[in-house]
Amino acid sequence: MTCRIGRWLCVGLIGAGGLAVGAAQTPPSWTDDLAPITARDWTYERAAHLIERAGFGTTSDEIARLARMTPQQVVDRLVDYEAIDNPAAKPFEESGIWDPGMDPFPPSRADAVRIARERGAALGVQVLPAGSPRRLQPVVDKFFYGLRSNSIETQRLGVWWATRMLLTTRPLEEKLTFFWHGHFATGDVKVRDYRMMLRQNEMLRARVSGDLRALLVGILQDPAMLVYLDNGENVKKHPNENFGRELLELFTMGVGYYTERDVREAARAFTGWTNDVLTFKFDREQHDFGEKTFIGRTGPLDGTDIVDAVLAQPATADFVAAKLYRFFVRETLSPAVKTELGNGFRSSGYRMKPLLKRIFLSKDFYSAPSVATQIKSPVTLVLSTYKKLGLRELPTIPDFGRLTAGLGQLLFDPPNVAGWAGGRTWITPATLLQRGNVFRDVLFPDPAMFRAPDRLMPATYARVGENLKKGMNITEATKEGTGDAESNMMADRDEDYNTRYASYRGYLMAFERTRPIPRRAAGIDLASLVAAAHVTTVDAAVDLFIRRFLSVRPAENDRVVLVDFLRGTLGSSELKPGDKLEPALRELLYLVLSMPEYQLG
Amino acid sequence: MTCGCSRRDFLAHGLYGIGVGAALPMFLSRTSAALTAQALQGTSVEKHPERILVVVELSGGNDGLNTVVPHGDPAYYRARPHLGIPEREVIKVTEGFGFHPSMVGFERLYKDGQMAVVHGCGYDHPSFSHFSSMSYWHTGVPNGGETLGWLGRLADDHYNPATRNVIVNIGLSQSLAVRSGRHSPLVFDDPVRFRREGTDAEKRALGAMSEAASASNPALDFLVATARNAAASSDFVRQASAAYRTPVDYGIGNAFGGGLQRVAALIAANMPTRVYYVVYQGNSFDTHVQQADLHSRLLMYTADAVRAFMQDIARIGRGDDVAVMMFTEFGRRVEENGSLGTDHGTATPMFLFGKHVTGGFFGKAPSLTDLDDGNLKMTNDFRRVYATVIKEWLGYDDTAAVLKGRFEPLGIFA
Repeated sequence: MTCRIGRWLCVGLIGAGGLAVGAAQTPPSWTDDLAPITARDWTYERAAHLIERAGFGTTSDEIARLARMTPQQVVDRLVDYEAIDNPAAKPFEESGIWDPGMDPFPPSRADAVRIARERGAALGVQVLPAGSPRRLQPVVDKFFYGLRSNSIETQRLGVWWATRMLLTTRPLEEKLTFFWHGHFATGDVKVRDYRMMLRQNEMLRARVSGDLRALLVGILQDPAMLVYLDNGENVKKHPNENFGRELLELFTMGVGYYTERDVREAARAFTGWTNDVLTFKFDREQHDFGEKTFIGRTGPLDGTDIVDAVLAQPATADFVAAKLYRFFVRETLSPAVKTELGNGFRSSGYRMKPLLKRIFLSKDFYSAPSVATQIKSPVTLVLSTYKKLGLRELPTIPDFGRLTAGLGQLLFDPPNVAGWAGGRTWITPATLLQRGNVFRDVLFPDPAMFRAPDRLMPATYARVGENLKKGMNITEATKEGTGDAESNMMADRDEDYNTRYASYRGYLMAFERTRPIPRRAAGIDLASLVAAAHVTTVDAAVDLFIRRFLSVRPAENDRVVLVDFLRGTLGSSELKPGDKLEPALRELLYLVLSMPEYQLG
Repeated sequence: MTCGCSRRDFLAHGLYGIGVGAALPMFLSRTSAALTAQALQGTSVEKHPERILVVVELSGGNDGLNTVVPHGDPAYYRARPHLGIPEREVIKVTEGFGFHPSMVGFERLYKDGQMAVVHGCGYDHPSFSHFSSMSYWHTGVPNGGETLGWLGRLADDHYNPATRNVIVNIGLSQSLAVRSGRHSPLVFDDPVRFRREGTDAEKRALGAMSEAASASNPALDFLVATARNAAASSDFVRQASAAYRTPVDYGIGNAFGGGLQRVAALIAANMPTRVYYVVYQGNSFDTHVQQADLHSRLLMYTADAVRAFMQDIARIGRGDDVAVMMFTEFGRRVEENGSLGTDHGTATPMFLFGKHVTGGFFGKAPSLTDLDDGNLKMTNDFRRVYATVIKEWLGYDDTAAVLKGRFEPLGIFA
């Protein structure tokens, strides 16, 4: 190992900036070459690249351990992960927010009110007797409780998944689940039911290493997806094309390989595919059993026939293999590589594992255009930082969801059905600054300033509580301020209920009924980290951080800036134990994590 | 013409020349130099390099029928027994149509001939989901999986990626509409927060690094360029915003008016931005319940802010250079619902504002009786309006490439 470290440092000191670590030794002929690399080609840097892409990165010690194995062994272990015990696979602990009568949850408050008026009850809650003031209030309270508590459960679900991503012993399992979450994009903002989101997440995880057919059937019968793409409204009399269209355009073939007629016929085949809250339901009454013609097949086709017809098209194999390639390797791939990967995928019966192994072992995967050229997604950026810090718990101060959402990505909330666009779209001047800024909150957490988003009420509703405490009645307490923008949003009120009060009540009930997200700052100990590496000088500390955190070698000028900064902060070229050391190292790390180079993995 | 329309005049007047502190010379010289180089090389084929498009999004689905009221149509009052705006209250501007009474700001713009209304905008197979429909308007590709926004594609096709800040998006997150393959839209919400955090020493160190050049890694080149842009633009945006003072009243202090004011501040500071994107956020126009008062206020704030913006722009001498296009993801159903509100619908008017706009109504208003399951049948594909601003305002004849299809411009800009 020492020779590798030595060589790396040597190149780092004299080389030009911007080169991928290890790129200098990679022959240009590796680009687009899908032949496997050999054990002789296996290095620390390539192991680091593999675990960064196939997982969320890891510590130097772990990379060194992988580097001592053969590439074949490492890839087999990554891909055939089922055999690995995974203590991080803990079930999501539900708060239990869903009460009898809340299913199916009305799509809007207006609907809840309409149902309550018609039936005298809604959401499992009776309206008050005639003549009572605000007789629908309990129903509207319950409606807002449902929205708020579900939103909090979805936040908790995000923390649960991020924790699993951080601690899993099967990194590829989580990375694949994350990939397919973006591919089969489904958002809780529309689904409004964390239980469906959880079930979808578990279904994906269970099928991501199998074959594409099972995965497609799984997602097409998945309640969250059925709700998200409005397939409940896809009925015999009025087929809704949304579902069929996304299947062809976004999930399998891509535009250009089917006609508008195919979309309509696919829609007909999926009529009656709906959900009974949390389970798939085939509604015979709404299904069109008539004859359909879809990409050359004719007959009384149903949804699974469409899946089989789609899988018979080479375009599907090419499309899906190319998307996996773009996620794991790089944005652009040559037509030849696309066809070669697609052919292999299709002839294997759309099995994921041979495709993934082929990609991860290919020379192309380790070629210069593939290494240290990928802009990390916000979730990957934050998690891989935690991984490289060797954290054994997910920090929740700052809040994980808020952190990544501020950078443009929130688990269980992709921006639209096409998923996250990724790549350069993550980067705006403002997000690039934020991508550094967020790590100040991680490295210098301030629990006194921290407001837990799962216990936060917007100011408008908090004021209702303050006003009630002053002894105002509900009408007075919910009166709008003068010219306050927030007041514009909620002017609608009704003598049968008070919306703003219901919103306030909904928050309180949700806070009471949901488990709080446990809050803790990151347990970071950089002084121990440098001590364990036997680093005693500022120069060596900078090199250690560069090596541990960056995939791209910074320019020598930048390295000097870092060294000067640490020396200036410590007032010495030596690292001496003491109170100054840890904060100085954290400042240094903040600089490293704020560099443009750090955005690349 | 105080502000010339040729690139030479433009440069002569000094980019970023107004109201900017002394901390910016590096950025100024660099940007000017880049633009000068571009002009000298003749790479620009822009007909109107001084022109700016401001796109305003009303999120939530604005009730078009109560915005541009068909007061001459008895079917309107039949469908809206409680919510219909009584004929005597409507601000009548044309035969059979008028504005909601709270839109006094629009009345003035209309009478000045600076406002065009395009009837019945929508698309085939409309989606009733906010989310899907908005993404269709953002991408300009309804029922498609396009990942870039129409304004992003416009910038990709027509603006040099070396020019920074071609698109500015005021907001917390980047709108899909401006998502670009080659440009890095400047997205910020609060100019005060658009900054590098850290101690002075940390910021000094990061500043000393930002010029780092890479070798053979295009992704890193992109990041370094963006970092430089961020460092330079954030100072500029903060200072331009802080320095900006206006006597114009944008109405009651809401976020939307504030967003337009930020745009005015950047235009006043001669930011080389060609497209600004501002959102009336938070699904505000989603008026399912008890909508009368709420909708009235929303329209008042919107009209006040747009009117103020146009006035402000004229005040700083850029009235000839700025056009505003306003849209929403869908209108509401014709018939009011049982909760004194309206549910998601289809076609809805679009609005264009500016000194070069031919004022008046364009297109045919949808019938209120020949409906599609209770919804208006659209009479104008919204991409015709997009094509109009691309061709007639910004001067790019080839609208089909950006819009991924042929859409006839409407002849709105003189």
